Amino acid sequence: MRKGFVVLLVGLLVISSVLMTTAGSTKAQEPKVLYTALLPGDVKIDPSLASDANSITMLNVLYVGLTGLHDETVAIEPGVATEWTVSDDGLVYTFTLAQGVSWVHYDAEAGEVVQVMDEAGAPLTLKAQDFVYGITRTLNPNTGSEYSSVLAPWVVNGQESLAGEAVELGVKALDDYTLEITSPQPAGFLPMLYGLWMARPQLQSVVEEFGDTWTEAANYVSYGPYALKSWEHDVEVTLIKNPFWAETMYIPQAKIDEINFIYLEEPAQLTAYEAGELDWIATVPLADLDRMRAERSDQLVIGPGQCTYYYGFNVLKDGVSNVHLRRALSMAVDRDVIVQILNAGQVPAGFFTLPALAAAPHQEDYPDLAIWSDAAKAQEEFQAYLADEGITADQVPQITLQHNTSQAHATLAQAIQQMWKDTLGLEVQITTQDFAVHQETMRFDAPQIWRLGWCFDYPDTHNFLYDVFRFVGPDSNNHTNWENPEFQALLDEAKTMTDNAARAELYAQAEHILVYEDAVMIPIYYYTSIDLTQPYVVRTYAQTGNERFEKWDLSE
Amino acid sequence: MAQYTARRFFYLLIVLLMVSAITFFIMHQIPGGPFTREKKLHPTVLKNLNAKYNLDDPLYKQYTDYLIDLFVPEITTGKHSGDVTEDFLVNIDLPFGDNAALRWINFGPSFNSRTLSVNDIIEQHLPISAQLGLGALLVSMGIGIPLGTIAALRKNTVYDYFSMSTAILGVSVPVIVLGPVLKYVVAVELDLLPSSGWGSWQQAIMPAFALGFAQSALLARLTRASLLQVLNEDYIRTAKAKGLRERRVVLVHAMKNAMIPIATVLGPLFAALITGTFVTETVFGIPGLGRYFVTSITNRDYAVIMGTTLLFAFFIVLSNFVVDLTYAWLDPRIRYD
Repeated sequence: MRKGFVVLLVGLLVISSVLMTTAGSTKAQEPKVLYTALLPGDVKIDPSLASDANSITMLNVLYVGLTGLHDETVAIEPGVATEWTVSDDGLVYTFTLAQGVSWVHYDAEAGEVVQVMDEAGAPLTLKAQDFVYGITRTLNPNTGSEYSSVLAPWVVNGQESLAGEAVELGVKALDDYTLEITSPQPAGFLPMLYGLWMARPQLQSVVEEFGDTWTEAANYVSYGPYALKSWEHDVEVTLIKNPFWAETMYIPQAKIDEINFIYLEEPAQLTAYEAGELDWIATVPLADLDRMRAERSDQLVIGPGQCTYYYGFNVLKDGVSNVHLRRALSMAVDRDVIVQILNAGQVPAGFFTLPALAAAPHQEDYPDLAIWSDAAKAQEEFQAYLADEGITADQVPQITLQHNTSQAHATLAQAIQQMWKDTLGLEVQITTQDFAVHQETMRFDAPQIWRLGWCFDYPDTHNFLYDVFRFVGPDSNNHTNWENPEFQALLDEAKTMTDNAARAELYAQAEHILVYEDAVMIPIYYYTSIDLTQPYVVRTYAQTGNERFEKWDLSE
Repeated sequence: MAQYTARRFFYLLIVLLMVSAITFFIMHQIPGGPFTREKKLHPTVLKNLNAKYNLDDPLYKQYTDYLIDLFVPEITTGKHSGDVTEDFLVNIDLPFGDNAALRWINFGPSFNSRTLSVNDIIEQHLPISAQLGLGALLVSMGIGIPLGTIAALRKNTVYDYFSMSTAILGVSVPVIVLGPVLKYVVAVELDLLPSSGWGSWQQAIMPAFALGFAQSALLARLTRASLLQVLNEDYIRTAKAKGLRERRVVLVHAMKNAMIPIATVLGPLFAALITGTFVTETVFGIPGLGRYFVTSITNRDYAVIMGTTLLFAFFIVLSNFVVDLTYAWLDPRIRYD
């Protein structure tokens, strides 16, 4: 009996030591895998259909654009277009494409990334015609591309195509490697815009063969530094290095072999990170932030975000139809206290546009630009409002603030409600609605004050001021019911100019009208991004919101 | 018996029909739609998307079309399109050539994903939830029924108090608290098990325990109450009087009868656990069906709302039917005629 036990122990030892040595010897060839997580909400890795930051980040490494943005400086740089020229009138852009960029596909049976072959058996390379097809597909109304409307105004006949008219688009292949895009109007940000995900090339044969399911891992083709290895919907996505990607000055060969994304809620992400199962997470629960600051200060990085948090007014409603009351409410919000409550490095916002955007005005250059928290001035404005309307403080109509249901929004709304009460003696009522109901209410009958945020699609001020407030109506993003010809003229003028300093001047005036003179919205704070990264990950921190994984590495 | 089954099957259809009608019309009354975005869609794009999914039809037509796709079997010929709107749960090849097939049960496409049908979602995520649910059910029965039995047999002793305190702990510490604490201790501090995910048996231990423990409390209290009642019945006294051993009296005579209330709650509990539990799956990052019950409503993903709701209704009715059948076995006085 005892002898048997000893034999068993020795046997176990032998087996485990064999296992350990094999594990040790295979480790040298083991692929470098980065494990990370995404918040739930499946990606869409079809360039025409992508609409969320996770999908766009993946598309940026699967489908490199004509142009790209440097992840840290946000400067425009070549993508698969090696160079481009623009005609004197600023309308015709001619892009020269890199040659020999292979379309690739992950072959699950062979377990490796392979080139896509044409009928003659030669590798299929990226051509200007693929861009023509991709852009045409985005602007085809039947595709149902959510971001088609960002591109449509900047391609001749884009709007008409989107409206279902049979027209010829202003995009054509001059030869296999020369692409010409014609815009109906000039703009300084066009080189940036033509590099966005909805203007990427697509392989017609594959899209037409598989329809909407061409993005399934078994069918997927791409050409960037990474390829799609597997995609289990709502469970995980794995990207794999594309060895056929020809390194450029701006986009190197990937060093990490595979990137594995799993879908996890915020608290579960942190636990998995703390247990060492994840190498990087891009979100940290607010409640754990101080603990992370204490325990993992070397791994925690808080950087600028891509969005502005704001409250808007419906200027047709009782009370807030008066600009003095709107200014009083805006000035009574103590933004410094707000960012203290949020406690994640957020920056108080005195105007709408993120200061980091191209052509954005800056407080230093335009001292009168913003509206700032000022209790004394707020009270003055409130008195001006009462005098204007000829009423006393207890005759102020009931003011309602509405936000979509969320703990974070509720905390902030209650803090601001208290500030209004303390500074102005005004009791504002808070209501909440489910996200979709909130959106619908704002389209047709926005309450007096409502919450929203805005994040950029491309880092240019145009994407903030013009795309949100230039137009009004239920189909626009402007729920204030406010129009100001002077404001609109400034935006229209800035749109066609190419000199960013001159544009910033015009945007500064427009901002002043928006947040101060007419005070139709209360800018509250600029978002931040939060990253926790294990020390062995060698990485860059993207200011664009889209990480460039091909620049990352894992040290031993 | 056959007649009884047929009648119950007929009731099942009526229940599903009513559930589908109520869910469909209530969900469409709520403002917002599947393409409501913070950044507004271009009106033409929105119009096309609505047309693509027939959301521009009158409501009654959308509803009848949905019912026809779901309940009426279809015979198709020719190459079957891989389109998400043409995905059937049941596909039976027919021997007529030209790819003829009998197709049945099409829950429609998910509006939220361009590449998934509701059938895909159910096929991929229901098995995961079912595994977790069965595990949790075993845990809850494994803990709950013995605890309840001990408490009943040793009424008002330290065993009883211990069992019932455990039960109260289970009721009052929900998964949303127990889960993260368990994860922090077991996965982060002790590093014994993976913190989240699904696929290996190690990953199933914590969620099955967390989910099952909460339910076990319910079963323990119910077992105790029910068993105490049965133990006072005349036939138990008779069994004891004729000199049977206590173990036999309790396990064979009393337990079987005391299981009737347990079976009653196990039915709906089974249906609820195997179709997915949102909180447990969220806390442990398990890709089950539970989250679709919640996210489909916030996303106004009508077909997914209908699919998950009908699936749940189906399992509830089915498990109640099975429970009714077990009554006859548990208590010979019950008959189905």
